[in-house]
Amino acid sequence: MIPANAFALTHFQAFLLFAAVISIAFGFLGRRRPKDRIKYILWSFFLFLVVGIGIAWAMYPFSR
Amino acid sequence: MADEVMQQTPEATPSQPPRRGTRRERFAWAIGIASWLLPGLGHALQRMWGRAVVVFLAVGLLVVAGATMRGTVFSSNGGDAFDTLGYVADLGTGSFYLAARALERDGADVSHAGGDYGTRFLATAGVLNLLAALHAYEAARGRKA
Repeated sequence: MIPANAFALTHFQAFLLFAAVISIAFGFLGRRRPKDRIKYILWSFFLFLVVGIGIAWAMYPFSR
Repeated sequence: MADEVMQQTPEATPSQPPRRGTRRERFAWAIGIASWLLPGLGHALQRMWGRAVVVFLAVGLLVVAGATMRGTVFSSNGGDAFDTLGYVADLGTGSFYLAARALERDGADVSHAGGDYGTRFLATAGVLNLLAALHAYEAARGRKA
């Protein structure tokens, strides 16, 4: 059985998990050749990080 | 199985979608529904093993993470439109919806960030599975996938 606290993640860890899982799924569904898939996964993951951190910085002045 | 159907319906080429009611169209619907019920099954039936494994693991991981982080697993008796939308998204995981309900024994707890992330993970798993089911359906129809 899976322990109740198996996924006690910080904000950033949850963000990384989300970005990685979705990038891999999109890469496999959207591209056929292995090389294209790897390029797509890396690019998608990079964009998730850039956009996510960018939005976090943009919201920072309004967080307090 | 997929090869047999494609050989028996020469009218359905990748550039020409099958006519409604043809055997291939019915096969595509069955693939789509199978893919929704068990994430990855639609791709596995078409021997797209890599996609099948990735969809199964991605949806499964998001459901397990979402439920153990105590995200909200919406039910049919939601109070407002957002609850209904959440229910539709959660139902997108097919049979994994039942697994999410079974995993979340202590109920949802969105008073901390983990629970909120869990709710998003569960909804994302459902929408991702619906996207994968649509992809499997289109592949079964003969569209380039």
